[in-house]
Amino acid sequence: MSVFSKAKKRSAMSRLPDEPQSGGPQVIISERGLIDLPFLILTLLLLLIGMVMMFSASYARAYMEEGTSSYYFVRHAGFVLGGIAIMVVVSMVNHEILRLFSFWIMALAVVLLIMVAIPGIGIKEGGARRWLYLGVGFQPSEIAKAAVVIYFAALIVKFKGKMATFRYGILPFACILGVVSILLLLEPHLSGTVIILCTGAAMLWLGGVQKRWFALLVGLVGLVVYLVIKYPDLLAEYAGARITAWLDPFSDPGDTGYQITQSLYAIGSGGLPGLGLGKSRQKYLYLPEEHNDYIFSIICEELGFIGAMVILLLFALLIIRGYWIAMRATDRFGALLAAGFTTLLALQVFFNIGVVTNFLPATGISLPFFSYGGTALLIQMAEMGVILSVSRQNKAKLK
Amino acid sequence: MSIFRKRKQTTTANLTSDQQANVTVLRRCLVLMGLLGVVAFVVLAMQLYQVMIVDHDMYERMAINNQTRSTPVSASRGTIYDRNMNVLAISASVNNVFISPNEIAQKEQDIDLIANGLAQLLDVDADNIREMAQDTSMYYKVVKRQIDESLSEQVRDFINTYELSGVYLEPDTKRYYPSSTLAAQVLGFVGSENRGLEGLEAKYDANLQGNAGKIVTTRGNSGSEMLYRFETYYEASDGDSLVTTLDSTVQYFLEKNLEQAVEQYDVQNGAFGLVMDVNTGAVLAMANLSSYDPNHYGEVYDEEVKQALAEERAQLESLSGEAYDAAYQDYLQSVNNALFAQWRNSCVSDAYEPGSTFKIITMAAALEEGVISLNDTFHCNGNIKVFGRNQPISCWKTAGHGTQTTAEALGNSCNPALATIGIALGGEKFYDYIQAFGLTSTTGIDLPGESSGVMLDESYLTEYDIYGYSSLAVAAFGQTFEITPIQLVRAISAVVNGGYLVEPYVVAEILDSNGQVVSAHETKVTNQVISEQTSDIMRELILGVVENGTAKNAKIAGYSIGGKTGTSEKVSEVDEFGVMTEDKIVSFVGICPMDDPQYICLVALDTPSRETGLYISGGQMAAPTVRNVFADILPYLGVEPDYSGEDANAMDVQVPYVTDQSLMEAETLLAQANLSYTVVGYGDTVTGQIPTAGATIPGGSAVVLYCDAEVPYDYVTVPSLTGLSSVEVNNLLTNLGLYLKIIGNTDTSYSVISTHQSVEAGTSVERGTVIEVEFTDTSLME
Repeated sequence: MSVFSKAKKRSAMSRLPDEPQSGGPQVIISERGLIDLPFLILTLLLLLIGMVMMFSASYARAYMEEGTSSYYFVRHAGFVLGGIAIMVVVSMVNHEILRLFSFWIMALAVVLLIMVAIPGIGIKEGGARRWLYLGVGFQPSEIAKAAVVIYFAALIVKFKGKMATFRYGILPFACILGVVSILLLLEPHLSGTVIILCTGAAMLWLGGVQKRWFALLVGLVGLVVYLVIKYPDLLAEYAGARITAWLDPFSDPGDTGYQITQSLYAIGSGGLPGLGLGKSRQKYLYLPEEHNDYIFSIICEELGFIGAMVILLLFALLIIRGYWIAMRATDRFGALLAAGFTTLLALQVFFNIGVVTNFLPATGISLPFFSYGGTALLIQMAEMGVILSVSRQNKAKLK
Repeated sequence: MSIFRKRKQTTTANLTSDQQANVTVLRRCLVLMGLLGVVAFVVLAMQLYQVMIVDHDMYERMAINNQTRSTPVSASRGTIYDRNMNVLAISASVNNVFISPNEIAQKEQDIDLIANGLAQLLDVDADNIREMAQDTSMYYKVVKRQIDESLSEQVRDFINTYELSGVYLEPDTKRYYPSSTLAAQVLGFVGSENRGLEGLEAKYDANLQGNAGKIVTTRGNSGSEMLYRFETYYEASDGDSLVTTLDSTVQYFLEKNLEQAVEQYDVQNGAFGLVMDVNTGAVLAMANLSSYDPNHYGEVYDEEVKQALAEERAQLESLSGEAYDAAYQDYLQSVNNALFAQWRNSCVSDAYEPGSTFKIITMAAALEEGVISLNDTFHCNGNIKVFGRNQPISCWKTAGHGTQTTAEALGNSCNPALATIGIALGGEKFYDYIQAFGLTSTTGIDLPGESSGVMLDESYLTEYDIYGYSSLAVAAFGQTFEITPIQLVRAISAVVNGGYLVEPYVVAEILDSNGQVVSAHETKVTNQVISEQTSDIMRELILGVVENGTAKNAKIAGYSIGGKTGTSEKVSEVDEFGVMTEDKIVSFVGICPMDDPQYICLVALDTPSRETGLYISGGQMAAPTVRNVFADILPYLGVEPDYSGEDANAMDVQVPYVTDQSLMEAETLLAQANLSYTVVGYGDTVTGQIPTAGATIPGGSAVVLYCDAEVPYDYVTVPSLTGLSSVEVNNLLTNLGLYLKIIGNTDTSYSVISTHQSVEAGTSVERGTVIEVEFTDTSLME
C-alpha cells in the first residue's frame, strides 16, 4: 500500500499522477468536479434509442410468447432506470474505492465462476452453464469482465516500473486470465473468454508491457484464427459449426446457419432508409434473440443504413470520449479504469455488430445499452458510472 | 525502428521511469482509441455497407421469400352461355384438401384420427393418408382435389371438432358443363391449372381465364400472423364470359337427329352437322358424333370404343416382360387416339370431299359468269367424254338423264351436265370462284384447329395441255379435293344470301365479370361472290332440288326447303391392303326458308352401313336427317309454316270437342277443323269421341264418333310399318284406330316407302294415338 500513498510532485510532462493530490483514497464527493457531460449524454442517448428499439424489436415475441407486447419493454425500461440510478450513484463515488476492494472483487468473480461451474448451482441454459441465481439472476462472466479491468488496473498501478518484466508484467496477469479463461471455458462461454482475454491484453498494453509480447500475441492469435478457419473440426462441436456457418451462412440456412442468415435478411433488407420504425418483418419470430444479441439486425432493418450509421457514430463518439476521459484522468488507476471499461464496451460493440453482420463468427455477445439487459445492463451502467467518476476527477483538476 | 527508438529516448531522457510509464499509458490509450474507436467502426461500417447497400437487393429478395406466404387467389373463369343465356360451361368454387405432414409431426397430431376421419369423409384410402403423413419433410400433400362446398364444410367441422393442425382446405375452381355432352367439341374443356385445352375454352382461354391474383402475406415464423401485416393483394380479375351464338335447343335437336340417323343407318364412323345463320354466319349448332362429356373429358365416352379398349387392356394381362411393355404402349396409344378422336371438331378440323353438294358452287359461278343460262339444256346419256381423259366420266344414273334444263341438271345432280358447265366456265374462272367462295382458306371461325382443306393446285385446272379437262370436269362436281364442312356451309350460304361471303362465328359477345359487354361480334362480310340476281336464281334452283330433284326426302309440309345432296367417296381412305375403301360420306345441305333464306343445315354421315337396305346416298339418309332437324327447329326458331295448296292437308289440327253435340253439329265443327269422321253406333248425338278433344292429329284424318255406343278405352299393338307405301301404312293404322302422320316424302309414288316409325313395332298404345312414320323416296340413288 505504500506505493499508493507516496506523494509525488507533478511533472509538466505528466498529467497523470499516481494518486489524488489529497493523498490516499478518499470518498469525498464535494471535492470532485462535474461529470463529463458529453459522455453522459451519449450514454443516455444510446439508452433511449435502445429502449425504443427494444420495444420495437421485442413486441412480437412478447405478444406471442408472453401475452403482452410490452412484456420485455417494461422490464427493460426498469433495468434502464435502475441502471441510470446505479450509474449516477457510482459516478458520485470516488473510483479510488475500487482499488481498495480490487482483490476482493477479483476473488469474488472467481468464486462466482467456480460456483457457476458446479452443477445444481449454475443454471444450464442451451447447453452452457452461465447463469447464477442468487436472489437475482446474473452471469458471473459479466462480473469477471469488470473484475479483470479493476484488478488489472490496480495491479498495474502497483507494479509500475516493473511492468516491463516478465515476472510482474506478464506472469500474474497471465495466471489470472488463465484461471478465469479456464473457468469460462468450462461453462462453456467462448465469447466471454475472448472478451476477457482481449480486455486483459488491452490492460496490459496500457500498463506498459513490452511490445514484443504483443507481437507474439498477435502472431499466436493469427495462427489460431488460421487453424480455426482451416480446420473448424478442431474446435468443440458447437464452435466448429459456427465457424462453418460463418464462412458460408447459406450452406445450412435451416440449422447451423439459421441465426446468421435470418440476421443478414434483416440487415440486408433494411437498405439505405430502412423499412421504418416498427416495421421489421424479421422480428416476427424469424430472427432468434431479436431483442437480445441480434437487436442490431432489427435496428438495421427498421432504420436502414442511415440509422445504423448514426448508432455506430454514437458508439464511436462514446468510446472516443471514454478514452479521452482516460487520457485526461488525473490518476493512473482512474485512467486505466476508464480506458479498461471503455475497451470492454468497445469490444462488446465490435463483437456484437461484427457477429450480426457476419463479419465475425457467431458468439453470444450482447450489444451494450440495446440488448435486453437484466443484470448485464446494470453492470454495464455501473462501469459507465466508474468512467464518469473518473471524469469528475479530472474536471476537479481543471478548475 | 531504431530511429524511432532513439528519438523516443532523446525526448524522454530526462523523465523518470514513472513519468515514462504515464507517457506510455497516454500513447497506448491513443492507439486503443484509434483502434477501437475508429478503425473498428470503419470496419463495421464497411461491412454494413456491403450487406445493406451492395447486397441489399439480394438480401431483400431472400428476406421476402423467407417472410411471405403467397396465397394464390384464383380468378373465376368466365361462363359460356348460349345465345339465350343458358349456361353451357361454368366454374364453381371447390376446395382441395391437403395435409402438412411436417406440421402433423411437429404438433404431434393423431395421424390415425386424421387418416380415418378424412378417409371416411372423402372416400379415399386411409393407409394412403398415413403414408403421406410419414413424409414429415413435406408441407403440402393433397388428399383430395375439388370437393364441393358442402363436403368442404364437413371437413372444416372435422378439423374444428378435433382441433386438428396440419389439415387444410385450399380454394380451387372446377369447370362444370351442365348439359354434359351438348356441343362438347365446340365448348372444349379445361385442363389442370385453369387452362382451356379444346374448343372455345382453348380459343378464348385468355378471355375466360382472367388473371389469377395472389395475396402475399407476411407471416411470422411457424405460420403465425404478424401483428404488423405487410400484405400485398394482387387482385384477381375474373375471366370474361362468352355469349355464344349456339342455341341449346337447336343444338339438342341437331344432336338428337344425328344420333337417330347414326342408329337408323348404322353409321360406322360417326356423323357431324351444323346449323348456321346464312346471313350473319352465326353458328346455332355444331355437333360431332360420337361426343364426349367435357365434365369427364379424360374418359372415353363411346361405349363401343370403351369396350374395345377394355378388351385390349384385358389382353395385356396375359403378357409379360417386353411384350407387355410394347402392348401397353400400344394400349396407351389407342386410348390417346380415342380421346383425340372424341375431342375433335370435324366441322372445322376435318376436310372431306364435298361431292355433289359442291355442284351448287359450280352452277352459281357459271350463272354469274353468264356462261350458262336457265334456258340452256344439257344432254346426259349416262357418261361424258372429256378432252384429255380416256375413261368417260359416268353419271350416277347409268341410264342417263336425257335432255335437261339447267334447273333439272342441278335437281338431277347430273355429273356430265356439271362437267360440261365446269368446262364452259374454264379452269381459271373456276379456280377464281373457288377462292372467292373461300374454299382455299380457313373461314376464320373462332374455333381452334381450323383446317383450310386440301384444294387442287390451280395448275391442274388450268393447264389443259397437260391435264386436259379431266381435273376440271371432275372438280366441277365436287370430287378430287377436300374442304371442311364450315367452308362448304359458308360458300353455300353466300350462294343463297345474295352473294355475300360471311365469316362464321360462335362467340357473339364477350362480357366482363360485371356483365358489361366488352366486345360484340359484328357480321363480317368478306366479299360478294355473286350478284343478288344470280343468288335469286340459285335459290330457285336449290328449292327445285328438294321439290323435284334428288332431295325430295328433305321436304317438310308447310316449309320451303332447298338443298343439295352429296355422296362422296372417302378418297384418302384405304384399307389394310392399300385398296381404296368403298366407305362413303353421305351429306345434305339444307336451307330454309327458300324465299328468304335464314338457316342452313349441313348433315354428313360417315360410312353408313350397307346392311340397312337403303341405297347409301345423301338423298336417302342425310336429307331425311336434315329434314328432321328442320322440322324440330324451325317452329322453335319462329319460322312460320305456310300451309297453302297441297300442304294444307298435312297441317296438324286440334280435335274439337264434339261430344254431346248432335251429329250434324259435330260434322260442321270437324269440317271447320279440316277433319273427316266415321260414326260408330246409331244415335243422333255424339256420346264419345276418339281422339279426345285437344289431341293433335294430321289434317284430313277421320275422328271416330260414338253415338250411343261404348267408347273402347283399349290398347292396340303397333305393327311393323317399314318398307310400305303411305297408303298401306294408313290402312293398317286406320284399322287399328291409330292415326298416321307422314314425315318426309309425301309423294304417293311406289318408290316412296316407309323407313322409320316413331313408335316401335310391338308397343301397346292407346287407341287414337298418332304414329309418325317417315317415308323416303328410295329411287333417289344419286
